[in-house]
This record gives sequence, C-alpha cells and structure tokens, in this order.
Amino acid sequence: MSDTPQTVQIVPARASFFSRFSIVWVIPLLALAIALGVAWQSYNDRGPVIEIVFENGAGIAERETDLRYRDISVGVVEDVEFTDDLSAVVVSVRLDKTVAPYVDATSTFWVVRPELTTRGISGLDTVLSGVYIEGSWDNEIGAEQTRFKGLSDTPLFRSDQDGLQIALRTTPGGSLTDNSPILFRGIEVGRVGKAAISREGNFAIAEAVIFEEHTNLITPRTRFWDASGFTFSVGASGAEIDFSSFATLVSGGITFDTFVSGGGRVQDGSVFEVYADKAAARNSIFNASEVETIELRVVFDDNISGLAVDAPVELSGLKIGKVESVAGIIDPDEFGDSRVRLNAVLSIQPARLGLPDEVTPEAALAFLSTRVGEGLRARLASASLLTGGLKIELVQVDNAPAAVLLIDEDIVPLLPTTDSEVSDASATFEGVFGRINNLPIEELLNSAIEFLDSAEAFISDEDLRETPQDVRALLGDVRQIVTSEDVRNIPIALNATITRFETLMAQLEEQELANRLAAAVDAAAEAAKGVSASVEGVPALVTQIEAVAAKAESLPVEELAMQLTELVKSADGILATEAARQLPADLGAALQEINATLAELRAGGAVTNINATLDSTRKAADAVATSTQDLPALVDRMRAVLDQANATIAGYNKGEVLSREAQSALRDISKAADAMASLARMLERNPSALIRGR
Amino acid sequence: MELAGQNPDIISARELGVVACTRCSRVWKRGTNTCGRCGHAIVSRDEKSLQRVWALWLVGLLCYVPANLYPMLQTRTLLSVQEDTIVGGAIELMHHGAVGIALIILIASVVIPIGKFLAIAFLALSVSRRSTASNHQRQILYEVVEYIGRWSMIDIFVVAIMSSLVQLNTLAAVNPGRASLFFALSVIFTMLSAQAFDSRMIWDVQSGDEGARV
Repeated sequence: MSDTPQTVQIVPARASFFSRFSIVWVIPLLALAIALGVAWQSYNDRGPVIEIVFENGAGIAERETDLRYRDISVGVVEDVEFTDDLSAVVVSVRLDKTVAPYVDATSTFWVVRPELTTRGISGLDTVLSGVYIEGSWDNEIGAEQTRFKGLSDTPLFRSDQDGLQIALRTTPGGSLTDNSPILFRGIEVGRVGKAAISREGNFAIAEAVIFEEHTNLITPRTRFWDASGFTFSVGASGAEIDFSSFATLVSGGITFDTFVSGGGRVQDGSVFEVYADKAAARNSIFNASEVETIELRVVFDDNISGLAVDAPVELSGLKIGKVESVAGIIDPDEFGDSRVRLNAVLSIQPARLGLPDEVTPEAALAFLSTRVGEGLRARLASASLLTGGLKIELVQVDNAPAAVLLIDEDIVPLLPTTDSEVSDASATFEGVFGRINNLPIEELLNSAIEFLDSAEAFISDEDLRETPQDVRALLGDVRQIVTSEDVRNIPIALNATITRFETLMAQLEEQELANRLAAAVDAAAEAAKGVSASVEGVPALVTQIEAVAAKAESLPVEELAMQLTELVKSADGILATEAARQLPADLGAALQEINATLAELRAGGAVTNINATLDSTRKAADAVATSTQDLPALVDRMRAVLDQANATIAGYNKGEVLSREAQSALRDISKAADAMASLARMLERNPSALIRGR
Repeated sequence: MELAGQNPDIISARELGVVACTRCSRVWKRGTNTCGRCGHAIVSRDEKSLQRVWALWLVGLLCYVPANLYPMLQTRTLLSVQEDTIVGGAIELMHHGAVGIALIILIASVVIPIGKFLAIAFLALSVSRRSTASNHQRQILYEVVEYIGRWSMIDIFVVAIMSSLVQLNTLAAVNPGRASLFFALSVIFTMLSAQAFDSRMIWDVQSGDEGARV
C-alpha cells in the first residue's frame, strides 16, 4: 500500500537494465538454451519410422528389439501393434538416420531366432539377447518406402549378397529336396531354398543360389542330381551301400557336375533340372530333349510270363522306350487260330533313337519302318537272369521273312517279331537253385539238431553227472580197503611170518649145523687119516663124505629165502597198487590211514616186534656168519684132507678108478663148500636181504 | 523466551540503524560499506537476493523434470537390462512388497525436493507480500530448508555406491542413469537457491508498516 511512492523514487534511479537484474539469471537462461539445444538435436537425429508387417511377433519387444544390418544395430522397435483386422503384427522401427535412405523397396526383413536344423544351429546368440530383426538392402538409394512385409524365414537371397541365382526344377516324375545344400565334391557351394509346386502340379521348382566364389562352376551344360539318401546295390563286387555324406543322408542335398566343357556363364534366373541320380544326369547330356513318344504294338506267339509293364525296350542294348501295357489277345481273323497271344504296346522315345535331323514322332516312325524293311524285328529277351524278367529287344534278323510296319493314323503300328531269345540261363539258374533246393539241408540240419540234442542229453545225463561221485565212491572203497582189517593185519601176519622165520633161524642156529658139519668134516678128516692108514677104507669114506656133502647141499636155505622174498614182495605189491597210486587225493587220506595204522602198529608194539625180528634175523645172520667163518677153516681142512688123500692116492698110485671117484667126490664137496661160501658172503654183505629178498 | 512472531517488540538491526557484517558478525553503523575488521562488503539488505533465489530455483526446477523422466538406475543382468525412473522404481519396490524402502525413496527423492521448491518459493514470495505465517515460523522454515537440503543428495549417494559396488562384468552391473546427473544438479541448485535467500528480509515485511525501507 505504501509502496507506490517508493517505486516512483526507485525506478528512475535504476535505469540500467543490467544493474537491475542479477547476473545469476544467466544460469537459467543457459540451462534453457542447453535443454532446447539437446531437444532439437535429438529430434533432428531421429530417423524415420518404418513399419514391418510380420505374421507374428514372437520375441519382439518394444524399445528392446534391434533392427540389424550386417549384424550392426541400425534401429530399434518403437511399437508393436496389430493390423486393423488382427491378421498380422505391425512392428514400428525407428531407423538410424544414416541408413534410412538405403531402406527402399528392395529391402527385406525377417526375424532372427535360434534355429536347430539338420545343417546346424543358427542364431544361438539370440537365446540370451532375445530375437532381433535382420534387414537386408542394397547399397543404392532407391524409392522411399515405409511399410514392408516381413519374411517368415531367413531368405535365401539377400540383396547385400552376391551369388548366382538359379532355379532348380524336378524332372517329370522326379522329386526334389528343398532347404538343402548344393554340394560340389563334398563342399557346400550353394543352397536350395524352399520349393514350390507348379500350378499344374507337374513339377516342383525351388530357387537356389550358388555362392559368388563358385559361380564359375556352373555352365549351361551343368547337370544337377539328387545326392540325398543312399543307394544299396548288390552286384558282381558284392553288396554296396553308397551315400555322399551324413549331412545329405539326413537332410538331403543336391550335387552337380559339368560333364562336358564349354557353355559359358549362366545368367541369373536360369532353370536347371534335377535328375534322380548321376547316371540319369550324365545321360541327359547326350539325349536331345524328349518329345512325344510313339506307340508300337508287338504280338508274341508264345505266352511267356515275365514281361511286365515298364519293361525296357532296347535297340542294340540302348533303352529307347518301355512297355506300356501287356495283354492277351485272341484274334482268329488275324492269326488264323484262337490261341491266346501276348500283345504288348510299346512306347518309344524318338529322342533316344539318335535321329540325325529333327526329332519328331513321324521321323522316328519312318526310320523304324525302313529298318523293319531291312529286317528289324522285335523279340523277347531275358532282362534279368535272377528275376526272370523279360525285356523287348529290337534286333536285326538276317534273311527274315518280309514284313512291313504298317503306319496309319488310327491304328497302332504292329512291329513284326522273331523267335524269342529267352535265355536258358534262367532255366540253368532254376536248375541250380532247384538242386540247391534239393540238397538235404533240412535233413542235415535235423541230424545236426538231433546230434546236438543227443549230446546235450548225454551231457546232461544224470549218470555222467554222477561219474565224479562214483570216482569218489571208488576212492572211498579204496580207503576202506586200506583201512580194512585185512590190510592192517598184513604187518601182523608179516610179523608172524618173520617170527616164524626167526624161529626157523633159531632152530637152524640150534641145530649147529655148521658145527656138526665141522664135526663131520673132522670125522672125515679122521677118516682121511684113517684112509692114510688104510687105503682100503678110502672109497667108503669118500662115499660117506659125498653123502654128507649132498645132505648139506640139499638143505633148503635158499628156497626158504626165496619164499620169504616173494612174500615180502606181495606185501609190497599190495601197498603199491595202481589204484592207490592214481588217486592222489584219497591217497593222502589212505596214507594217513596207513600212517595211523603204522602209528597203531607202533603203539601196538608191532615195530618192536619187527625190530626184534630183525634183531633175531641179524643174530641168525650173525650166527650164520660165524658159522661161515668156520667154513674156510673147514674148507682148508677139507683141502688138507683132499691133499692128504691126493698124496695118499699119488703115493699108492694104484686103483685109478678109486682115484677118479674120489676126485669127483672131492669136486662135489668143493661145490658144496662154494655154495656155502656164496651164501655166507651174501648174508655177510647184506643181512637184511634175507627179509627184503634182494 | 517468548515464541517468536507473537512478540511485537522485536526490533530489527536495521531499525536500530546498525548493520552486521555477514562474515565476522561485527556490528557497524548503518551506511558502512566495508567491514573494518574483515574487509567484507556490508549491505543491510541484499537487493538482488530474491532475483538469485528465483533464478537458481528455476534452474533447479528445470533439472528436476528430466530427473524424474529419465531412468535413475540402469540394472543390467545377464539376460536383461532394466532401467528405472525414481518413481517407477519406488512403485516397483512397492509391488515387490518393500513398502518401507519405497516410502524412504519417495520421501527422499520426491516429497523433500518438492517441499523444498515450495518452501523456497513461499519464503521468496512472503518477503514481498504479507503472509499469514509469522516471522518466526518463516525463519524456522528457512532454517529447516537449509538444513535438509544436503540430505537430498542421499539418492545420489545410493546410486554412486551401488554402481561402484555392483560391477560383475557380464553377470550383472548397475550403472547410474541420466536422471542421476539431473537430480544432483537439481539438488545443488535448490541448495544454492536457499543459500541465496537473504533471511533478514523475513523481518522487514512484518515491520514494513513501521517504515521498513527507510
């Protein structure tokens, strides 16, 4: 209220604009200027918005999904909405200003998503980062366009890529694998895109691209064929399986080759045919393009099975057509009887005849007509030995009956025939197979099976299985034998025998046979002395001595020893039987048993007995030895007696007979003495031999 | 001491014909241009103070607009990039159930700055027009505004700490958004604006009837 007078005072005093306003106002002005500048710049930098229509918007997000060109982001999705009829999705993309002019009518757009196909994985980076829109356009500025139709798949051709663009078409009746690689010598040199069926449905056609660096491989004479799948063939070299690579086995593939050189470059848009296999592709080079086929008719007298529809028709081994239909025919008017004949309709491809000039059905018929006039005839021939299939051959027959090929508008020309040459090989094969068939393979197999059955039955037989048990039982028996009382009693019996032997030896000792012998010899010596006294008493004495000597000789000492030896041997033999030796497992047990028996024997004093026996034996042997020690003396004495006798005989020198008798008597005595001496030596050397027998 | 504003006996220094140095507080006679002790220029009232207040206030307000429109924080994880504005982030936190934290963010980043703008504007207006608020209330308001101004920077601190701590290369990263710069500028300019206000003018209007502009 009271400000008015003051204002009047102040305003004139502060006339200067700058002194009235603080310098600080520069700051908001500056800020405003900067803000406006930034706003204008960002507005100025904005590129145009284009709209891309996709079938669906899977993965596309506003302000996140990029538009990329050569994998560099050149724009971002600003908006995603539906078309008015909800039939598609419209994606608005704000382009970078720099590339905007290039995005013209030639541009294509598609969504890059992770893809897993037989030829690999693509777009893997989009798994993490999300999908993006890939754009492709050429490097020329063209007419501006703001609405595009997005592709549903990654396109085969990209306008920023070079390469030869061709189309591949199937041959009539052929097939095509689309979305597959084009391989050359195993290297991927191109791709086949999606195939489409022609409007008439008679072939499929697919666009294909040959990469820029391989375009020189393609000439107009290049032939393509399907390399997918595999072929399995059985031929002379055995079974053969053939496929070009695993990739083509799985996903299919097309390969090509240029069989003949020349032909120059191929323009974009050329159409090539895809043949079924390499052979067909190669053949196609030399064949003129096929024209309409001509039909011929052949009637065969013989009704031979094996001729089927599509069987080849060959001229000099070259297939020129095929059998269209086969039917029986009865035509009494034409053939004169009512037999059933084989009527085959052939379709001949004129292009295969190799006609020199223009290839037309008319020219082909004219050519055939001429040839028939020269003797060309049709005949049935074996196509395959194994299957017995037949084919029709056109052959030149010399001296053939004249015939003509009737050519008329309405009728199918009838080709004259000649004798069929159905190979006997077929029959031979049949025979071979028949013989093979007749082989008693089944019986053989049956026999084998029976044999195997029997063997199995034998092996699984209870008896055979029980054999080891029998063996075990046998061993048990053997053990029983060994442990039986009889065997155990053997040593006892032996003991008894030895005891008896001992007794015998003792008796022998008691008898003091040697002493008596000595006494006898003494007596003989005295007798000899008596002889020296009276020569007449000598023969009687000699006779007595002889008798005594004979008696001494006939003592059965050796025989006794022999018997004893055999006894011991038999005992030994029992212990060393094959059974006991061959069954080592139970032998141990048996031996243990024997051992136990021996232990028992030892415990039972048998050993003591044996020892005693042996002692007795030794004593006996000693006695014998001592007695034999006397033997030399006896012999000496006898020799002395004999010497005396000798001297007496020599002294008296009469009665030669007596002398001879006395000499023989003395020789006998000498023998007896020798026998005694050898017995004595033997006993002396080895007294135990008396027991062991050696 | 009685409550300020209800005491009509308060007399300003200007009315007593003295002026204090704003730097060293030495009181001089009115009309002295330079402080004899510290050499600071002495004015009884800063005539251009309000202009500075309004200018800086305007810049602060200008900066506050992009600070709310642009994202404050950019959170990048392996799979996605998330950008949140201040209010948007708070709302999202609220959706996730963290109501307390969302409230703190809203108070620190929205309520307080806006309150400051309003408070400064009110103070600046009240010195030229009569106000229903007493001098004392306005003085307290001014002191509160001055005191609380620096705490608005807490948002910037949070962003700075987060973006320096969470840097796990490809796995996750937190980066300050563009709004953080504008927000910091906004806080700075409002603080400068509050400082530019010459609080002595609060008392002049009250005593204006008694010949404030002598």
